[in-house]
Order: sequence, then structure tokens, then C-alpha cells
Amino acid sequence: MEDTLRVSNLKVQFYTRRGIYKALNGVDLYLMQGEVFGVAGESGCGKTTLGLTIIGLLPVNAAVTAGEVILLGERDLIATLRKFTSKGPDKFNLRQSEEVMKKLNKELANIRGSRISMVFQDPMTSLNPVLQVGFQIAETVITHQPRSLAQRKLARARATRDDIEQIMKLLKEGADEQVINRYAESKGLRGIENQVLNVWRRSDLGEAKKGKIIMSLHSEKLGSFEKMVLQSVEKRKNIGGWMRVPGLSRAAKNVLLKEGYIEAIELLSMLEVPNPDKVVRMYPHELSGGMRQRIVIAIALANNPELVILDEPTSALDVTVQAQILELTRHLKQRFNTSFIFISHDLSVLAEVCDRIGIMYAGKIVEMAPTEVVFNKPLHPYTKMLIKAIPTIDGNEIQGIGGAVPDMRNVPLGCSFHPRCPDATDKCRAMKPETVEVEEGHFVSCFPKR
Amino acid sequence: MRLWVYVIRRLLFLIPTLIGLTFIVFILTHVSGTNVILSGYMNPKLTGLAKQLLIQKLTSEFHLNQPIYVQYFYWLYQILRGNWGFTNTPIFSGQVGTAIALFLPNTLMISVVASILIWVIGVPLGVYSAVNRDSAADHTVRVGSFTLYAMPIYLIGVVLILLLGVYLKVLPFSGVVNPVSVSALPWVVNGISYPTHIIIIDAIIHNSWSVAGDAFLHLILPSVTLALAIVASMIRILRSSMLEVLDQDYIRLARSKGISERAVINLHARKNALLPVITLFGYTVAGLLGGAVVVETIFNYPGIGYWTTQALLASDVGGIMASALLFGLILVFANLLVDLVYAFIDPRIKY
Amino acid sequence: MSEAELKRRKWDNTKLSMSVFFANKVAVVGLIIIMIYVVDALIVQFFPQLLGITNVGSLVPNFINPAPSPPSMAHLFGTTYPGVDLFTSTIKAIRIDLFYSVLVVAIGAAVGSLIGVISAYVGGLMDEIVMRITDVFFSIPYLILALAVGFVLGRSLLNMSIALAIVWWPLYARYTRSQTLSTKEFTFVEAAKASGVSRVKIMFKHILPNSLPPVFIQISLDLGSIMVIFSTLAFIGFIANASVPELGYLTSLGLNYVQTAPWTVIFPGLAITLFALAVNLVGDGLRDVMDPRRRS
Repeated sequence: MEDTLRVSNLKVQFYTRRGIYKALNGVDLYLMQGEVFGVAGESGCGKTTLGLTIIGLLPVNAAVTAGEVILLGERDLIATLRKFTSKGPDKFNLRQSEEVMKKLNKELANIRGSRISMVFQDPMTSLNPVLQVGFQIAETVITHQPRSLAQRKLARARATRDDIEQIMKLLKEGADEQVINRYAESKGLRGIENQVLNVWRRSDLGEAKKGKIIMSLHSEKLGSFEKMVLQSVEKRKNIGGWMRVPGLSRAAKNVLLKEGYIEAIELLSMLEVPNPDKVVRMYPHELSGGMRQRIVIAIALANNPELVILDEPTSALDVTVQAQILELTRHLKQRFNTSFIFISHDLSVLAEVCDRIGIMYAGKIVEMAPTEVVFNKPLHPYTKMLIKAIPTIDGNEIQGIGGAVPDMRNVPLGCSFHPRCPDATDKCRAMKPETVEVEEGHFVSCFPKR
Repeated sequence: MRLWVYVIRRLLFLIPTLIGLTFIVFILTHVSGTNVILSGYMNPKLTGLAKQLLIQKLTSEFHLNQPIYVQYFYWLYQILRGNWGFTNTPIFSGQVGTAIALFLPNTLMISVVASILIWVIGVPLGVYSAVNRDSAADHTVRVGSFTLYAMPIYLIGVVLILLLGVYLKVLPFSGVVNPVSVSALPWVVNGISYPTHIIIIDAIIHNSWSVAGDAFLHLILPSVTLALAIVASMIRILRSSMLEVLDQDYIRLARSKGISERAVINLHARKNALLPVITLFGYTVAGLLGGAVVVETIFNYPGIGYWTTQALLASDVGGIMASALLFGLILVFANLLVDLVYAFIDPRIKY
Repeated sequence: MSEAELKRRKWDNTKLSMSVFFANKVAVVGLIIIMIYVVDALIVQFFPQLLGITNVGSLVPNFINPAPSPPSMAHLFGTTYPGVDLFTSTIKAIRIDLFYSVLVVAIGAAVGSLIGVISAYVGGLMDEIVMRITDVFFSIPYLILALAVGFVLGRSLLNMSIALAIVWWPLYARYTRSQTLSTKEFTFVEAAKASGVSRVKIMFKHILPNSLPPVFIQISLDLGSIMVIFSTLAFIGFIANASVPELGYLTSLGLNYVQTAPWTVIFPGLAITLFALAVNLVGDGLRDVMDPRRRS
């Protein structure tokens, strides 16, 4: 099976008035479908930069000096940026950098939100304060899957009571997703299956209530304008043609928006948000941090992406909420087979959800292995020190890691960890270690520990 | 529901402000002596017995024999009744109320046109300048608004006169309309047009299109001068506000959703960037009012500003007092409007 | 950190600040322009003979030739009505404008800042009252208020300055008040209080030095704005004296001749605009220095 994501030799640096910060110094990693890959390290090691580079959302003063980011089936995502850096100006030129970023954004617009999405660290600032959260969720669906939105509503309109009764029967008999899908297809009711299943799978309602809701999903009335818009979108897969006329495009978007809100409500109930129908009309400041993070996750998942990057999703939240988010991640991994990159400074959090973990230091991945291997057979000295630094219930003494993260303007020669490494040798001080696959799936970048 | 609480609180807040405003105006006029009230309400054409009678009447009405704080209330009472005094200037002599009715419409006219220009020019330029930072267009806009900001408003007016009125001879720069064209019209009496006192509107009402066109041409330079003076600071503020917004996390999230750059700017960024600009709109109105004074003087445009300068030069107490009060009232209510509009727009305001 | 290290840090910071400022070429140009104006004012004040100026404080009319004449060798900027040489008048006027603008800003800033800091620190009812008072002042357009106050006090240069200072202080009061409010919250103030330092001492020694630096930037920016407003007031005829060298007044002299003699309005106007521009450029440069983000 091909990798969902492959990052090779990624090198990224930032221009500042105080010098050039080398944030990533040759990162290699791969990600398979349905995996949760953890990225661990102290602050300043470059993990957030790694996440941002994969999705291409770097600030203007960033430069990609080498490397590739290859998503399954696509060419290198950051090619444009890398080419610009290599043949571009040697001094930082704001205007040109902005132009390149705009170009990159345009190129990646198709992928972002539909194949790759990202959840940022601070839910307090991630959401637009002047827009309703339901809108912010619906927006991403309208952008990437307007057709499926149209189909949903059309399906509800076309379905008859009998159709729905039949589906209810199938559900009660324990039919799985495939069967329902096939049934819907055969009746020309493409679009109804998700709605039905989303309700059926809710855990906060009783069966009777669920039945009632499902039974209402038929013979919906459509206004004539609505019908025109929806059918047109269904056919052409987007908002185009006659709907581009200035006055009409707003109205057309509103038709889709209404359905988008309904889908947003479904998404939120899946994420176990209470009273989703009220929440979608609220503004971010009216919601708690945990709720906001769920909104952001809903936005990230709305279009069933192949890869979701989570940048410290729990660091700004308290422990109970943290636990919920982790549970959610596990649940989603199971349900959708999405791949996740989970960035965190907290190894214990990563231990809970990740299949594989990569330890980052000074812009490189120094060790990468399946989770149990990392914890039971760590090879790199830094990994060992990180593990020893985790507070545990049995009261073992926590051992901090002496020294500090190196100044990324002047990365130490040789292995970047050698100033803090208890096992450093002369070789470590002189040469940079290669990454070696010690056993299957276990990679280490360290001289003494090969 | 809590929004209404905010509205009511804001309205209540109006009262002490109004009291403060009227008190300051009163004190100002009073510092020059008690007779100021007299001269403010006195018709200088009266002589002899009529004058004595008026003095007596005023003295009793305003209780001029009593201590100041008492006088304040009687004066305030007169103000609330609509008796704002007597003005005596070269362009007009008579009741202040009449003067306001005659001059205010013209000032409103150029202010409104200037405001529209400010928004229509300012917002797109400010947004474009921020979105295309450091481009040639951005630099042009920045240099332009920087220069305009440094120019005193009278200089802007003079430069426009030189460019468009003298060298290019395109636009007129004196008065509201060419006096010859209105001399024979029935709805213009003594230079005053009826029913709205705004020549351009009355001309449209009376189907006199050539006069309307002429009045329109006369409108352009004063309004544009006003607009240019104020749009400079607006563009600067909007640009920096927009730049700040574009740096925010939620913009990054919007981009991560893959929506078009145009949608990011227009839907997500712009509304957030405009919020501080709206709060500063109160200052914009203050600038408009102050600017109107200068602009009307340069262009001989008969509005409240022109009347104010005439009153200053002629030491007309009634005029100064009344115009200070009037301007103050306009500004207070403009600020109130801004606060209320802002409370409606920004979903974060919930008291 | 030792004394020596602290001092070295401070010097490094100053060096960085200066390099940031001087890297901004337009800001440097602005600074040069401002210095030219200041030198001009000083020369006129102390050594007017150097420039051949005899009547320092007033315009010298020439009734034999009152009509405005274009720039020539005898009159570098031309003359304006009534026969006044524009070049010398502009030079004289710069001194007056600069002096009075500095006066306005100094008084306004001093009074306003003091009131603002005290009001914020004392808090309570006094703070509320001060806030309401500033609100009332804000509710009158500054031009009108200046006009009214000037009218009351008498229409002279000095009174115009006082009027403007009265209009201007609430701005500083508000500004320093908000600065003080945030400084007040810092723990070192708590620490000082806990060790029993008197309130007044805290205010002067701890709070004031921390709230004031941003005010200085505001002051430098205001110098430009005030001069513009000052000249605007003079332009509309605030001053009764018909022969005072002032840039706005000079411009108004030429207003009636704008069609035939545009230089009469351009030169004085340009003098003001140039100064305001220079001040703004320097202000921008200062902001680059102070804002930690722009430093990177």
C-alpha cells in the first residue's frame, strides 16, 4: 500500500531581523492510511513548522530550501515555494514572497479542506469572531462538496414515505452502510444515506427518537428557485453558469448554506456537542474552549479528508477536555480511516492515541518507531530522556533534561544534540549522523546507538 | 435581549454629556461678562425705547440679576424652547433659528456627499493596499495618503482650485450656484431656495435641470476637498487594521479550508478590519464638521461653517454660541449613532 | 544579572533601535527636515541679522507695490498682498509656528498626562468624573471649541495656543490613563505597595516612568498635527493682528489672488506640509523602533 504522505529531506528556514532561523533541517517521514502519527518534541524543535509546511500555510518570511512533501496521488505540494527560494532573491523581499505565497495558496486550495486539513493549537483565536460557527463549518462543505449538499436536500425531497420506511426496516435488521448505500442508489436517492446513518449512529438519543427523526426525512417541499439551484448544482458539480450573476449568486449560495447548516448540525452531534441546533447559530465567544475545539475539528473533518494535522490540539484545554478530544480522535480513526498527524510536546498524550511516534529535535526527526517500541525500546538518548521526564503515578523521580534547545540560527556542528547528550563522542561532535533503520519500522539518527 | 440594556444605558449616558456640553457653552459665553447674554439675544437694529424694553424683557427672562448657576437653568430653558438668540453677521442678520434653517442644509449636503466619497474611495483602497502589501499600487496609495494627511485642509482646497478651477477651468469654486442663472427663478428668493433650501434638490423638484447641473458642479470641489482631507487618515487606519487582521489565526484557518483568497479577504477579513474604523467614525464626523468650516470659507459656500467664521470675525456672540452648541449636538448624536450601529454589528458586544 | 551586564544589554538594545531607525531612509530624511526647521527658528530668534531680517515679529508690507509679484532674484518666493516678501516672511513664520505648536503640545501633554495618570491611579469616583469631563470635551469638534475659547479670550496667537491646549489635553489624559491602568496591574507595583512605599512615591517612581515612553511618540506625532490645525485656525482669520508672520495667515493673504498669483498660497502651504510630512515620517520610524514585531 502506498503511503498517504511522504516527506523527504525537508529543510525550512525563516528570515528575521535577528538572523536566519533554520527551523527544519532535513525531515523525513512517511504516513500510511488510517494511521495516527505522533510528532513529539520540546517547544522550538520545529514540529509546528513541520505541520504548517505540509499544508503549505507558512508565513511570508519562510523559505523552503530543500525537500518534498508528497501526498498520495499528487506531485510535490510545496514545489512552488521551494523553486522560488532556490532561484529567488538572496535577501528577503516582502513583495515577492507574498506573491509566491498567494500562488501557493491558489494551487493548494483544492487540497486544503478536502484532502488535507489542520486543527490549530489555540481554539480561542482559531475561529472568526464575527461569523456564526455553523457558517464556518458549512462554508467548507460548500466550497468542496456543493454537489453532495445539493443531493442531500434533493434526496429528501424525492424520497417517499415508503422509501424511508424501507430504510428503517433495513436499519433495524442491522444492515450495514453498504446495503443502505445500494438501496439509496437504486431508488435514485443518493444523498439520503449519510443523513439517515448520522442520525442512526447518534448515541445521545434513544431509538424511538431516532426513528422519529428518520421518519421525517421525506417528501420535503422545495421552493422553485431552490429546486433550480439544487438541480443545477447537482448536474454541474458546483455553483456556475447562470448562478454566477451577481445578484443571484448570493441567493444561490444561501440555498446551499441552509443545507450546510443542517449538515453542520449532524457533524456536531457526531462530535457529541450538546444542542447542536442551537450551537450552529452561535458565535465563537459564546462557547467554551472545548466546544470551540470541537467546532474546529468539525471543520477539519467535514469533507472526510485523507489527512488531518492536529497541532497541539489539547495544549490549550484542561485535562478533562483533553481526554474527550483524545477519545474523539480514536473514535474517528476507527470510523473514517483518516490518517492523523498529532503534534504535541506531551509524550503521555501521544502514548494514548498514536500508532507511531516521531521524536523531533532541532529540526530533525531523531527517532521514529511504533509507539510501544518507542516506549519500551528507545534508542536515541533524547528519547530516553523525554520518557524519563514524564511524571508517573508510581512516583519515580522525574529527571529533567539539562541544557536548552539550541539557537536555531547557529545549529551546532555535527549531531545537533551533542551539547546535551550524555553519550556524546567526538564523532558526534564532528559529523551529522544518518538515519538508519535499526529494525523494521524503527528509525534512529544517532552514532552510538546504531 | 441584553442588547437593549446596552442601548438604554447608552441613551441614558447621553444626558450628562448634553448637560456638560451646554454647560461649557454657557460658561464660555459667560466668561466675557453677563452682558454677553444680552448681546447674544439683542437685535442691534433696535434703538431707544424698543431697546430698553427688550433689555428689560431679557433681564427678567434670563434672570440676569441672579447668580450664575440660576442663570444657567433659565438659559437652558430658552435653548430647549428653541430660542437660541440673535445673530448679526454680514451674510445674515436675524434669529439664530432662521440662520440654522438656511445654512445647515448646504452643510449637510456637502457633508453627506463627502462621507459617501470617503467610504467609496477609502474602503477599497485601504483593503487593496493591505492585501497587496509593498506593491507599486500600495506604495502609491501610502505616499498619497501620507501627503494628504500632512496637508492642511485649506491647502487641499487651494490646490484643487488651482488644478481644476484655474488651470483646467473645469469646475467652479465659488458659491453654491451661478447667481445669474437663478436670478429670475420664482422659487429662489433673495438667494434662498425653497422648499428645502438646498439648491440642487429644489432644482430637481422644480424640474430645472440646468440649474441642478450647475449646482452639482459647484458641489464637487468643496465635497471632494472635505473627502480628501479625511480619507487620508481613514486609509491609513484601515490598512493597518487589515494588516493586523490578516495576521490572525482565524485567517490562517480560513485558508486551511481551501476557500478562495477573494472569499478570505471579503468575507473573513474585511468585516473584522472595518470594526475599528467604525468606532473611529465619531472622529470622522468631528473632522467633517471642523473641515466644513474651512471648506465653506474657501469656496464661499453658504453653510453653517461659513456662518461661523463670519460670526467669529464680526464678534457676533449669538452666532458663536449657537454654532458651538449646534456643532456639539451634531457630534454627540453622531457618536451615539456610531456606538449603536457598532453594537449591532459586532457580535461580541453583549452586555 | 550584574550591573555591567544590564548596561551592556541596554546599549545593545539602543544600538539595535538606532540601526532600525536609520535603516528607514525616509525617516532619516524627515529628521533632517525637522532639524532644518528648528535651526531656522533658532537663527531667526537669536541671529536674525544673518539672514538680513530686521522685523522679526511682523510682516513688512510694501504699499508702493502691494500687488503680488512672482518669484524673482529679489524675492525668492515672490511677494504676496500687500507687497510682503514671501521668503523672509516664511522664514519668520516658521519660528512662530514652531514655537507655538511646541507650546500647545507641551501644555496639553503636561496637563493631560498628569491628570490622566492621577485619575487612573486614584480611581474611583474621581476617575469617573474625569472620564465624563473628557467625554464632554470630545463631543465638541476641536475646531469649534478652539474658536469659541479663542473668541472668549481674545483673538491673539497666545490665546489661540491656549485654546488649542484646552482642546488637546483630554487626548493625553485618556491616553496616559489607559497606559497607567495597565501598568498599575503589574506585580512590581504590588510589591512596592507591600513593602510600604507611599502612594505618591509609587506613582512617580514606578508608574510614571513606565507609562510615559509611548506618550513621547504621541507627542512627536502631535507636533505635526498641531501645527496644521494652528495654521488652519489662523487661516480662517482667528488672529486680529493683520501683520503677524504665520504660515496659515500668509496663505489666507493670497487666497484672493489664487488665480493670478498661485505662488502666494503654494509656498506657505508647502512649508507647513513639509513639516507635517517630516514629523509623520519620523513618527513612523519611531514606531518601527518601538514595536517589537516590526523589529523582526
